[in-house]
Amino acid sequence: MPPRAQGTFGRVRRRLRRWVRRGWRAVAYLWQRSLMFRSVAISVATTGLAVAIIGTAVMISISNNVYAQRRDQIEAESARATIVAQGIFDAATATEDNNQSELETLQTEAQQAILSNTTSPGGTDIAIERSPDQSAPQTLQTIVSPGFPDEVITDELRQAVQRDTGKLSLQPVRLDDGGRKEPGLAVGSTLQIPNAGQYELYLVYELSDAQQTLDFVSQTLSIGGVGLMVLIALVTSLVVRLVVVPIRGAAETSRKIAAGRLDERIPVRGHDDIATLARSFNGMADAVSRQITQLAELSRVQQRFVSDVSHELRTPLTTIRLAGDVLYDSRHAFEPAVGRSAELLHAQIERFELLLADLLEISRYDAQAVQLDTEPVVPASLAADIVDEFRPLAERAGVDLQLVTPGGHTTMQLDAKRIRRILRNLVGNAVEHGEAKPVQVVVDSDARTVAIAVRDHGVGMPPEDAARVFDRFWRADPSRKRTIGGTGLGLAISLGDANLHGGRIDVWSRPGEGSTFVLTLPRTEQAQTATSAIPLPELDEPYDGPRAVREDS
Amino acid sequence: MTPRILVVDDDQALAEMIGIVLRSEGFEPEFSADGTDAIDAFHSTKPDLVLLDVMLPGIDGIEVCKRLRAESGTPIIMLTAKGDTADVVAGLENGADDYVVKPFNPKELVARIRTRLRPTASDASVLHVGDLTVDVPGHEVRRGDAVIALTPLEFDLLRALAEKPNQVFTREMLLEQVWGYHYKADTRLVNVHVQRLRAKIEHDPDNPKIVTTVRGVGYRAGGA
Repeated sequence: MPPRAQGTFGRVRRRLRRWVRRGWRAVAYLWQRSLMFRSVAISVATTGLAVAIIGTAVMISISNNVYAQRRDQIEAESARATIVAQGIFDAATATEDNNQSELETLQTEAQQAILSNTTSPGGTDIAIERSPDQSAPQTLQTIVSPGFPDEVITDELRQAVQRDTGKLSLQPVRLDDGGRKEPGLAVGSTLQIPNAGQYELYLVYELSDAQQTLDFVSQTLSIGGVGLMVLIALVTSLVVRLVVVPIRGAAETSRKIAAGRLDERIPVRGHDDIATLARSFNGMADAVSRQITQLAELSRVQQRFVSDVSHELRTPLTTIRLAGDVLYDSRHAFEPAVGRSAELLHAQIERFELLLADLLEISRYDAQAVQLDTEPVVPASLAADIVDEFRPLAERAGVDLQLVTPGGHTTMQLDAKRIRRILRNLVGNAVEHGEAKPVQVVVDSDARTVAIAVRDHGVGMPPEDAARVFDRFWRADPSRKRTIGGTGLGLAISLGDANLHGGRIDVWSRPGEGSTFVLTLPRTEQAQTATSAIPLPELDEPYDGPRAVREDS
Repeated sequence: MTPRILVVDDDQALAEMIGIVLRSEGFEPEFSADGTDAIDAFHSTKPDLVLLDVMLPGIDGIEVCKRLRAESGTPIIMLTAKGDTADVVAGLENGADDYVVKPFNPKELVARIRTRLRPTASDASVLHVGDLTVDVPGHEVRRGDAVIALTPLEFDLLRALAEKPNQVFTREMLLEQVWGYHYKADTRLVNVHVQRLRAKIEHDPDNPKIVTTVRGVGYRAGGA
């Protein structure tokens, strides 16, 4: 094959294979997804198998029957024809002396008689041949009807005829009909002709009419079978439809309920199984929506409670605060014990206030009563603001506060107040626990996220502590001295703020090596924060800081 | 003359404590414990400034604010327990000039009060912005001969913008200049009061020509 043709052939084969694969995939998809398709396919396949088996059995039985009948008929005809022909020859012999010409006349007569005795619709061919190895005074010419299929008379048949004189020998044959093979039957017998010896009579019957009958029957059976399969497919799809349509309705309804439309129900018709399903489904939906309404009510009560507590607590706290401040301002006029008391009162009121504010914030998250108030913000500048804000405190603590911003210079929609609160918390913690070692704030971004990392090289935490830092009121080391002070809710609130933005906060920490917190925010509302622009390793793996800082050092 | 301040709060202890703080700072406090009484007390005492609690028995603080504003431009500072709710916006939209979130400290409260009471010093005497004339010493804004009644805060806001026509003011700049905040404060103060100012001075407040918005930055006086 020339290479070009081979290429074309290969291309065609590849395309064909692709189509086949695509077709298979479509069928496999339908098989998995559509109950209707599966049911119809299974019932059509089983019906097809049944029809094939029954059809074959019927065909075999019918063809045997038809063949046997024709064979009997042919046998009877042939026997009669042989007797008639023999009779003609015998009668002639009894009356006169036979000579050659008379014999030939007789032969023609016999042939006429034979043909008139056979009535096969397919037509009959005839041959009268002299048996071999005979010595008789006269011989008859071999007569053969035009178109006699000499080749079908096998040696076997000849031998059978010569052996069983006076009997009929039958053999099924295939006849060549203009290129087509038709079934036929060859019958051989012997004729005893006086003065001329033994002759063999062969009759070949065509059975194409029987074949036509069988063909017609098989065709009818096939059409019937295909029709039956189509009918079964229709019936199955109809029946499955009766079941599937309500099920699809139920699926659609439950989808709507899941999407929050709690009033959706399945229409109930009648008292059958489907109606029972619909009724139980609706009952379940009623129960679920009742529960949800109750929970919503509870949440509303909780929200109201939080709001009321907020107001009720804040008013007396304001009075206490004002009084505390008045006392604090004139503490120097008091005797030392009272003056110190005024100072302690002042400091604790402040702490109480922070605690109350944080608690209320947390309750708002719990009641899901928090909304983002977004504005265009550049994360890198936000981080720079916070770093500037903490610089005096860092200097007092002997901490070198560094800012590295390889990314995060594009504007994002953020709730600046909340992001600032997160960063203040993280940077404040880092400075507090940084043990006078450098603290790095790194802002980086990739296609999906913007990340802000705060890394200190201070005391750090063991992994089991690091896993709990976002728990409320949890403290790594109860005896640790606090310089900034905190409520124990800072990181929990930060995490709430991050989650509200669709972001997250990750932590890596190790005793003696310090801690790294990474705030990851999605760049757009659709973006995911499964990955971060500043990835952190697992808690039990080593970490040598964000990439930007590593390259710097 | 000592400035007179009307404290409207139903919490006796807090009202008394605020009174102590105000007196020590040289103000003269007057008290009212509910919303209905507050209107009468306002008429009888003629205060220079009103400290108004949002949650009041009788008429609530928002409604009191609305009624006071309907008849006077006297500065109103809201006392609210909820810093981030709709209460604040509702109060500002109904004419409160500023708000203080409980719990507040004395210095914060006094600073807010002083900012609202301070006399507005200015070199300029008459400013022109759009088709308006701003008479600074007379504290008056006119369109032609018609006087447009503005509250002192609205006047300060317009004056601040008009003194530097075409300069863009960020909300933070306005918070510092008009409200006296030196740290990041609630920018809703600016947004709400610019709306209120526009409602009074613009021909079409939905399509402002005198105080225009510079998207993503702030506001400025004069055409865009």
